Amino acid sequence: MISRRDAIKSLVITVGGSSLLSACGGRVVLDALTPNASPRFYSEREMAVLSRVSDLLLPRTETPGALDAQVPALLDQLMTEWASSETRDAHRTALTALDTRLQASSGGDFLEGPNAVAEQALAAVDGAAFAGEPVEGYRALKGLITQAYFATEAGAVDEQQWVAVPGRWDPCVDRS
Amino acid sequence: MADFDAIVIGSGMSGGWSAKELTERGLKVLVLERGPEIVPERDYTDRILPWDSPNLDRIPQDEIAEHYPKQYGGVAYAIKETTKHFWVKDDEHPYEEAEGTRYDWLRGYHTGGRSIMWSRQTYRLGPQDFEANQKEGIGVDWPVRYEDIAPWYDYVERFAGIAGNADGLSQLPDGVFQPAFALTCAEEDFKSRVESAFPGRNVIAARVAHLTAATEEQRALGRSNCRARNRCEHGCVYKAYFSSLNATLPAAQRTGNLTMVHNAIVQSLDYDPATARVTGVRVIDAETKQRRVYTARVVFLNASTIASAMILLQSTSETFTNGLANRSDQVGRNLMDHISGAGARGLMHGFDDKTVYGRRPGGIYIPRYANITETEKPYLRGFGYQGGARPISSTNGQIPGIGRAFKEAHRAPGPWSVSIGAFGEQLPSPDNRVTLHPSRRDQWGNPVAVLNVTYGDNERIMLEEARKDAIAMLEAAGCTDIRSPNVNLTRPGNRIHEMGSARMGRDPSTSVLNGRCQAHDVDNLFVTDGSFMASSACQNPSLTYMAFSARAADYAADLMADGTL
Repeated sequence: MISRRDAIKSLVITVGGSSLLSACGGRVVLDALTPNASPRFYSEREMAVLSRVSDLLLPRTETPGALDAQVPALLDQLMTEWASSETRDAHRTALTALDTRLQASSGGDFLEGPNAVAEQALAAVDGAAFAGEPVEGYRALKGLITQAYFATEAGAVDEQQWVAVPGRWDPCVDRS
Repeated sequence: MADFDAIVIGSGMSGGWSAKELTERGLKVLVLERGPEIVPERDYTDRILPWDSPNLDRIPQDEIAEHYPKQYGGVAYAIKETTKHFWVKDDEHPYEEAEGTRYDWLRGYHTGGRSIMWSRQTYRLGPQDFEANQKEGIGVDWPVRYEDIAPWYDYVERFAGIAGNADGLSQLPDGVFQPAFALTCAEEDFKSRVESAFPGRNVIAARVAHLTAATEEQRALGRSNCRARNRCEHGCVYKAYFSSLNATLPAAQRTGNLTMVHNAIVQSLDYDPATARVTGVRVIDAETKQRRVYTARVVFLNASTIASAMILLQSTSETFTNGLANRSDQVGRNLMDHISGAGARGLMHGFDDKTVYGRRPGGIYIPRYANITETEKPYLRGFGYQGGARPISSTNGQIPGIGRAFKEAHRAPGPWSVSIGAFGEQLPSPDNRVTLHPSRRDQWGNPVAVLNVTYGDNERIMLEEARKDAIAMLEAAGCTDIRSPNVNLTRPGNRIHEMGSARMGRDPSTSVLNGRCQAHDVDNLFVTDGSFMASSACQNPSLTYMAFSARAADYAADLMADGTL
């Protein structure tokens, strides 16, 4: 019987390739793709693109990044369990359009190529989307990735210093 | 011999008070709740950490379309995967809207009713609110003045626990307060600028039904101080905010005089023309659909404004052909709510080096000034604003950029955001009403409600003015990036402050209840939910329901003690 860890490891290699591992490294990345042994909604290609975009948007810094926080797996669950068929279609269309655009602007190597090239490609899309250019579904996709990240323990507690039980209200505190 | 001394129909905000006061007077009380039992230890979900809720705590979209189109459309902010059990499924509890009208009937059927999900803003009505109908010749005169109800406000506040400041405003009287949740530094600045630019306006800390200095009485009920978590829609294991379930029902329970029956849907009240009294309550079990009658010496109707009116309308007899206690033909009429949909938001600068700690339950409140400290308004009555100023905290990804800069932008110092939104008074109109559908029945055989409520010119003009005033105050406060969408009036019912469907008054020919919430036509029938409200004022109404319920129960207990009832 294949162990959970092996199953996940094979998934990582399949969907993310070496760049994912090098970007995030080690055990945390393996956990990043749990709890689903394999995506239920996304194709392998879609999962790879989503993982790459999530990592570029919210990388590991001094705090965990989107992959550490299992954002791609969360979105896979969200699309499977929460989304209506209309939402699924729109999401898939957006992801596909983004993939096409990023591939074109990164010399066809958005997934496997150097981070700098992929970053530049995504930054161009982001800049256009926030400058008012219609980039189909990008802002919604970015929104979903970001919301999912900050809803995780890593995003909420490690990055945003969210405290479950503050215990008191202090209306005016110096930022440290 | 009756089964009980008193039957209280409904266990929500007002029914809990009726039950507490009557049981504490030594009366044997049956509380009928149409929904299932909520057990805090089992059914509150506030201890589930956000990341342990599936799917960002979102209800699946297909499930919303099937079961919660109205509820979710009305209060999406509160209906989550882990709180949906506190809201009705629209397909199980249908209602209709009169042609050309819309109505949000937002509710939960379970122990404690909407006292579990309320927004906990807690304000007294002021003297002007009880006098306005008479002065302006609108609706009927309240048979009560502020001085009559003031001691009962004190009484319920002391027990419920209200955090607030004594602000010394005659139109929004002070009460028995625990320490307020203090204003943020930007709110203090907003307050001083607005109050200096508009001497008749005040910016105060919201008054909320949260414990901040729990009394011995409150601790004895297992309640303790608010932990500033902002998980209130999930229930509260600390029982820090007031609800029937957290406070009044446990108080009633400990007397040993309370019997509570769940899944008991009231169909009608039995009336005995010989004694001119209500003798019993007909119920159907929500699950087994078995029918039975409970009898009592006194009945308190606390089913909520729309439901209480419907129960009266369903209770027809030879004496009351158009509904019990309805000789005035006012039952179901004068349905009111508060109106929102006007406000403004903007940015405040100079606080970049400051932030807040904790998540308080309320922000600021701007009490009504229109037609009080400022006159010559193109409308009657007025509105208050709820709002707040806080550091911008966005997690929705709508910030430009990628990578580290994008990630850290979410916690970077910056300007604060201030927003205020109006809650306006709706004038009573006999044409705004709930009626029984002539043929459509729900699965228990009860007629479905037909709601027919529209706003008048006074409401529309008032909210346009509220928008202008909001912009002017933000300008006076030095805000930049002020945004104020065009007025978009909330649908009737959307503020979940529905009231007025069995108004009190001095004249039995034009009102349903007297000043003690006692039916003019039936001595042993009391209605103490929002139905009794002769006008809506603009303050959040729950505290007023509590005070009138306690006062009515005290009166009924007196009448029972001296043999009148």
